[in-house]
Amino acid sequence: MTVPNTRAPESSRQGSIFSDIAAFFTSVRTAIALLFLLAATSILGTLIPQDMPLDQLQQTVSPFYFRLITILDLHRLYRSWWFILLLGLLSFNIMGCLSQRLRRIPADWKGASGKSSFNISFSDPRDVKELEKVITSALKQLVRGAPRVVETGDGLILSWENDRVQLLGFPFIHAAIILILIGGLIGSLHGFKGKVQIKEGEKASRFTVIPTGAVEELPFEIAVDRFVLNRYPSGEPKEFRSDVRILVDGKEVLKDSILVNHPLTFQGISLYQSDYRLTGVKEVKFSIVNQSGESSEISVQPDATVQLQGTKYQLGLVSLHPGSAKRGAGVEINVQGPDGQNRPFKLFKNDPSPIKIDDLQLSFVDYTPLYVTGLQIGYDPGSAVVWVGCILLVLGFLLTLFTNHRTIAVVLKATDSGSSIEISGRSKRLRKEFREKVKKEVHDSLHIRDNKVTPITQGA
Amino acid sequence: MVSTDLNTYVTFGYMLCVIAYLVVYIFGSAKSAARKCAFAGLILVWCVHTVAIGLRWVESYQMGIGHAPLSNLYESLIFFGWTIALALILMRLRFGADVIVLLGLPLVFLVMAYTFLEDHNIKPLIPALQSNWLVAHVMTCFLGYAGFAVSFVAAVLLLLSKRGDQLGKSLPRREILDEIVYRSILLGYPLLTLGIITGAAWADYAWGSYWSWDPKETWSLITWLVYSAFLHARLARGWSGDRTAILSVAGFGAVLFTYFGVNYLPGLHSYF
Repeated sequence: MTVPNTRAPESSRQGSIFSDIAAFFTSVRTAIALLFLLAATSILGTLIPQDMPLDQLQQTVSPFYFRLITILDLHRLYRSWWFILLLGLLSFNIMGCLSQRLRRIPADWKGASGKSSFNISFSDPRDVKELEKVITSALKQLVRGAPRVVETGDGLILSWENDRVQLLGFPFIHAAIILILIGGLIGSLHGFKGKVQIKEGEKASRFTVIPTGAVEELPFEIAVDRFVLNRYPSGEPKEFRSDVRILVDGKEVLKDSILVNHPLTFQGISLYQSDYRLTGVKEVKFSIVNQSGESSEISVQPDATVQLQGTKYQLGLVSLHPGSAKRGAGVEINVQGPDGQNRPFKLFKNDPSPIKIDDLQLSFVDYTPLYVTGLQIGYDPGSAVVWVGCILLVLGFLLTLFTNHRTIAVVLKATDSGSSIEISGRSKRLRKEFREKVKKEVHDSLHIRDNKVTPITQGA
Repeated sequence: MVSTDLNTYVTFGYMLCVIAYLVVYIFGSAKSAARKCAFAGLILVWCVHTVAIGLRWVESYQMGIGHAPLSNLYESLIFFGWTIALALILMRLRFGADVIVLLGLPLVFLVMAYTFLEDHNIKPLIPALQSNWLVAHVMTCFLGYAGFAVSFVAAVLLLLSKRGDQLGKSLPRREILDEIVYRSILLGYPLLTLGIITGAAWADYAWGSYWSWDPKETWSLITWLVYSAFLHARLARGWSGDRTAILSVAGFGAVLFTYFGVNYLPGLHSYF
C-alpha cells in the first residue's frame, strides 16, 4: 500500500486529498477511534442474542426491534458486513502505520539517525588513552560488550549499541495483528464447523453445519466402535471418549480415540468429543434364583426375548427407567406367558426383594448402556496463520518490554589541559534513569564535581 | 480442610493490614518505621496466602482428584485476591505509594470475603477442564487483571487528587500516580494478551474453535481493546493525567464485567 503523502503532489489540491486520506488511514487517532468502535459494537453483540433462529427471535422481541435487528444484521453481528468493514479499516490503518514505521527502521538499525537524548561534557587532566580505560570500565554496568573504537585526528570515539533488535518489537506486534485478522478471514471464508451424532456401532459421514443447519458430507466415514464413560465416585463424569475408526472408501485408514481436549485430526479436518446421550442398552443382566436355590445370570438384548430356563416364559425388554437416588437405576420388562399374556414389571437395582415368576426369583443386576456420541467437526485453514500471528505477537511483546535499545557515544579529545569528554546517548525505555546513571557512573569514575549537562530533549 | 481455614485467616489478615495502614496513615505517617512494619505485615499475610493455595493443590492430590486450584469461582477468587496483593506489593516496592496499598487492600479483602459465600469443597474436574491450558490460561488472565486493578486504584486517586481538601493534599504527586496508572497497565496488558491467546488455544483443542464470539471471549477482547486504546493514547498521542485515568477506570469496569458480569449472560463459560 502506497503512502501518497511522501510523494510530490501533482497539483496541490489532488495531493492534499490523497495525503488527507492517507493521513486518516495511518493516524493513531483513527486507530483509537476504531478500537473504541469495535469495543462498543462488540458489547452490543453480547447483549443481543446471537445466531438465534429468526422465528424464535421474532417471538422474543417486539416487531420494531425485530426489524431493526434484522436490517442491521445485529443477530449475526460479528459476521455482519459493517463489522467486517470495521476490521478491514483497522487492518488498513495498521498496515499504513506499519509501512511508515518500516521505512525508518533500516536507518535506525544502522544507527544512521544520529539522534541522542542527552549530552554530557566533562574535562579531565588525564590523557585520552588512560581515559578510554576509565570510562569503558565505568560504563560496564550500563552497556554490554566492548565499544567500537574509532581514532580521530585528536582523540578517540568510543561507541556502544545494545539490543538493536528491540526495533523489531513494534513491527512484530502490528504485523501479528494483521496476520491474526487475515487468518480469521481465511477461516470464515474457507472453513466450516459442524456436528454429528453417531450411535455406538454405527458410522456416519453426513453432518450438520453450524450455524446454518445445512447437511454436508465429509470425505471420509467415522465409525464409532465404542463409547466409554468413566465416572468419579461421586457420579459425575470423569472422562468420556469415543473409540473410532476412520474409513476412506470403506477401508480403515486410522484407528484412534477422541476425548474432550484431545481431538482427532484427519485430512485437516478435526473431530472433537463434545457430548453424549444415553439412547438405549446393549444388554441387561438379570439374576435368577430357581427353586433349588441355584442362582444364575442371564443377559437380555433389546429386540430379543430370552426364555426363562425351566419355564415357558419369555422375558423381553421394554425400556430403561430413569430410577431414583433411593431405588437406583431401573428397567421395564415384559414377561410373556405360555398363554400369550403379557405381564409388565418394573425392576430397580436397589429393590430389596426379587419378583416371582412361577418358582423363579428374578432381580435386576445392571445394564450396559448404549450411547450416542456427539462429535463436533471443525475445519479451519486459517488457524495456522492465526497461531503464527500469536507467536509473533508474543515475540513482539518480549522484545518491546524486555529489551532496551540504547546507544552511548563518548568523544575523547586531547586538549591543552588533558582531555575533553563528550558523552551522548539514547535509550528507548527508561530514558531519564539511563541518562542519570550514565552521568553518575562517569562522574564517580572521574572523581570530579563540576560538569555540564545538556539534555537534548525535554524531560528525556 | 486446612487450606480453607488458612484462606479464612488470610482474609482477616488482609483486613488487619487495612487497619494497620489506616492507623499509620492517619497518625504516624511521617515515621517510616511504622510504614515498614505495616508493609512487612502485608508480605507476611501474602506468604501465608501463597502457602494456602499450594496446600489446596496438594490436598486435591491427597483426595485423588488432583488439579491446580483454579477450577471454580471459589478457587479463582482466592487466586485473584493473591494476584492483586502481589501487584500491590510490587507497586509498593517500585513506587513506595502506601496510599495505593491502603485503598487496594480493601479490594483484596472484598474478593477474599466473597469466597465465604461459595462452596469451598475441592471438586473433581469435569472433562472439559482437564487440560494443561487451564493453568496457563487462568493464571495469565488473573495476573493481568491484578495489574489493571492496581492501575484502577491509582487512577481513582489521580481523579480525586484535584480536590483542594485534606484528601487531595495528602495524596502522592500526580506525576507519580500517573506513572503507576501507566506502568500497571503495561504489566497487565501482555499478561491479558497471553491469557486470551492461551484461552483461544484451549478452545481450539476442546471445541474446535479458537474464537466463537462467546460473551466471555468477547468481553475479554473488549477489555483488551480498551487497554489498547489506553496505550496508543498515551504512547502515540501523549495523553496523560485525567484522560488516561478515565480510560483505566473504564478498562477495569470491562475487567469486572468479563469476570463477573458475563456469568449472567448465557454461554459456554458459565461453569460457575
